[in-house]
Amino acid sequence: MISFVLNDQTVQVSAAPDTPLLWVIRDHLKLKGSKFGCGMGLCGACSMLVDGESTRTCVLPLAAVAGRNVTTIEGIGNPDMLSTLQSAWVENSVPQCGYCQSGQLVSATALLSKNSNPSDEEIDNAMSGNICRCGTYPKIKNAIKQAAMDLKNGDGRLQAVAYFDPATLNSEV
Amino acid sequence: MTTSKAKNTTVKFNGIQTSRRSFIKNISLAGAGLVVGLPLTACVNASLPNNNKSALTPNALLQITNDNIINFYLPRSEMGQGTYTGLTTIVAEELDVHPSKINVLNAPVHDDYKNIEYGFQVTGGSNSIRTHFVPLRHLAANARLVIRQAAAQQLNLSLADVQTDNGNIIVNRKSLPYGEFVDRAKQLDFPEQAALKDKSQFKYMGKKSPRLDGLSKSTGTAQFGIDVDFEGLHRAALKRCPVLGGKVKSFDDSAVKSMPGVKSVVEIHNGVAVIADYYYQAKNALVNLKVEWDLPEILAAFNSDSTASDNGKALFKTALDSDESSNAYEQGGGFGALKNAEKVIEAEYWAPYLAHATMEPMNCTAKLTGEHLELWVGSQAPDLAKLTGAYYADIPKDNVTVNSTFLGGGFGRRTSSDFVAEAAAIAKASGFSVQLVWSREDDMKNDFYRPASMVKFSVGLNNEGLIDSWVVKRAGPQIMPYTLDDVVDSIMPGFLPKGLVDGLSKVGYSLYSSLLVDHASVEGLYEDYDVPHKSSDHVTVDPGLPVGPWRSVGHSYSGFFKESMMDEIASLKNQDAVEFRLKHLKNNPKLANTLSVAAEKAGWNKPLPSGHFHGVASHKSFSSFVTQIAEVSVTNNQLHIHNVVCVVDCGLAVNPDIVKAQMESGIIYGLSAALHGEITLKQGEVQQSNFHDYPALRINESPNIEVVIIESDDAPTGVGEPGLPPIAAAVANGIFAATGKRLRSLPLKLRG
Repeated sequence: MISFVLNDQTVQVSAAPDTPLLWVIRDHLKLKGSKFGCGMGLCGACSMLVDGESTRTCVLPLAAVAGRNVTTIEGIGNPDMLSTLQSAWVENSVPQCGYCQSGQLVSATALLSKNSNPSDEEIDNAMSGNICRCGTYPKIKNAIKQAAMDLKNGDGRLQAVAYFDPATLNSEV
Repeated sequence: MTTSKAKNTTVKFNGIQTSRRSFIKNISLAGAGLVVGLPLTACVNASLPNNNKSALTPNALLQITNDNIINFYLPRSEMGQGTYTGLTTIVAEELDVHPSKINVLNAPVHDDYKNIEYGFQVTGGSNSIRTHFVPLRHLAANARLVIRQAAAQQLNLSLADVQTDNGNIIVNRKSLPYGEFVDRAKQLDFPEQAALKDKSQFKYMGKKSPRLDGLSKSTGTAQFGIDVDFEGLHRAALKRCPVLGGKVKSFDDSAVKSMPGVKSVVEIHNGVAVIADYYYQAKNALVNLKVEWDLPEILAAFNSDSTASDNGKALFKTALDSDESSNAYEQGGGFGALKNAEKVIEAEYWAPYLAHATMEPMNCTAKLTGEHLELWVGSQAPDLAKLTGAYYADIPKDNVTVNSTFLGGGFGRRTSSDFVAEAAAIAKASGFSVQLVWSREDDMKNDFYRPASMVKFSVGLNNEGLIDSWVVKRAGPQIMPYTLDDVVDSIMPGFLPKGLVDGLSKVGYSLYSSLLVDHASVEGLYEDYDVPHKSSDHVTVDPGLPVGPWRSVGHSYSGFFKESMMDEIASLKNQDAVEFRLKHLKNNPKLANTLSVAAEKAGWNKPLPSGHFHGVASHKSFSSFVTQIAEVSVTNNQLHIHNVVCVVDCGLAVNPDIVKAQMESGIIYGLSAALHGEITLKQGEVQQSNFHDYPALRINESPNIEVVIIESDDAPTGVGEPGLPPIAAAVANGIFAATGKRLRSLPLKLRG
């Protein structure tokens, strides 16, 4: 039994300790926002915040997050309560197919949590682990800059919710 | 080919090994593929999916309920290209309601949702906006008129006094929702001739507005095929032959069955599947599954790694140099006119096989209950998915329900139903409800690849230095036989005996390889420029690696070939690349205009930063006209692409922001291919497996892109694909300007 904090709620999971965190979240805990893209930590579709760092969870064993804080896209915001980055994503129509965007938003959230005013180069460095086959990069850049501006003006939030599906709250999965 | 039972026999074809592919399919597809118009009123012989008796339901696409819900059944698949927003905006405009107030639902499979140009419910060819623009406007305008007529009756007013705004009837400054008039409207004859709005009256079309799927896709709540889940659903992983088309000879699952979570191991048509509680359990179990394979002979002997010892390119070269070919197009004196030329310039070009590598790996969920199959899948062809599911689950086709999801990328890959066939077959063989998930490695190694192509240009110039004859021959596999193979088993009438089908197939294939040219094989190689004498030939050479439509199809290579060749000719004649093109675009004013505007925007012939150079390319595809100018530099053999100016004429831009996004998308997808993309084979096995050896462009490599959309009153044309074809040539021509090196092979390699 491994316990960690998922989107502000403590969860206990009985999956094998070497199970990649991505599959624990998707298949056991049924949060589907984080995506499977490559299984080798190459594309970033599975990115989650682990203690605030954007982390490739398709290659991260469950055992590695014991006692740690994990935030998925569902813990950043939801359709009723958007984070500032998510609002910028919607306003700028960033997504195309949309499959990589949870991971993009997680990496962008990690970036702005450490750097409130990133340059183009700093955005490139922080976001280069996240592949988008639709090529939404120009819009991602614009949206990050817009969100950084909104956050600087004080009317923004990096995390809008501390959401977790109540159906699985504190239950063993 | 992963789904088919097609034969893959060897024939010696003028010294070139080709694979003989089934081809009766052409006949059956043509028979089923009659063009049908989008029905404007309910199809009488097929019950509508949106069967709410109390609603106004003029046809399968639109429904307005008396509690004021406007449902639009999206007939095309949303895979990133923006059709979800675009088609809804068209309806919204003529219905006079904000697009965000329309409830968009993925259409089920139904005859009324067929793509009117293909006769199947297929999304592709960048034709969604183009083909739906007029019919959807009429549908929505007629619906708005009947609501107004009902309101006029109900409120005892003249029709002229009944106006609309944002889903409401406006009377005496009061707003009454459309739903209040639905009961009355249903009793009226549905109009057929309501006037369409003038462009000056547009409230939503042509204006920038956010994508309607942006919210769900920015919150992780959009549902893709891989997100489908329900009680009792198991996961499946499939071990396939390392050489595509191989069959299971025998397998040993003794080390698998006791592994955690494993529920069942079953053999299907193209491999052995493990069914487990969770995906990673099924995937892990494959490692311990031992399978012996019967390899497909021809493909297993094929190597192509673009090195000197490469027999792959040599096969193409032999075909290209042979006398064998089929003529695809001829104009004026054709090939014969070359002899009159003042000077003839020749060059050969190469483009490799490419994988699609959509972000969401292929997957399909199948639940077989007795004689009923329910599928959940992101597909570009849900009706073919349905037929395929029926065939592989061995049930009548009317017993299949398809639930469509968002597609995590399509690019042509999801027109195939091979992964649907597998899921249905696994459900049938195992008795479990299964979600089949492909690993990235499965996805990379089991694609319908962009066909490798080699071309030879022979271009004759007259004594004024203008092009007098344009002769181009292309060697490579053709897509159509594979597309047909993918669907034939499911669309062939069940009463035809299998042997007959195979027999006819052989006749059909030789017809195809020697006589018929799939237009996609040569499209884009010869059309754009004014040249008196033209000839385009094709010769099939095909080692048997499955090929399919890859974003912009033939244009994906022909844009590179043709525009590099134009650049070669211009530079050999010391002509400015823009001026030289314009001299040959007198009969192609829209392409000429994009070129002139791009030259102006990019500052063509104006000073650039030290070491920076421009390359230009123009190409028409999918009825749209695009010019791109790339600003590049090369330092120590390192290429840097700084800026790309992209000018597009796609008629009216229904949503300009999505047009811009699709241009950026085509450029970036095209740059991945131009700089990195190459599928190679060793003894028939695809060598690439994941993003480390088949890299996709990342944000740090992505250039600044400036998109200009030409103002137009013409009807909209394609945008999903036309942004791609020019980019490789624009970059290669920039490299030539910078280094003097003419790169005639993709991907562009500055070394070696």
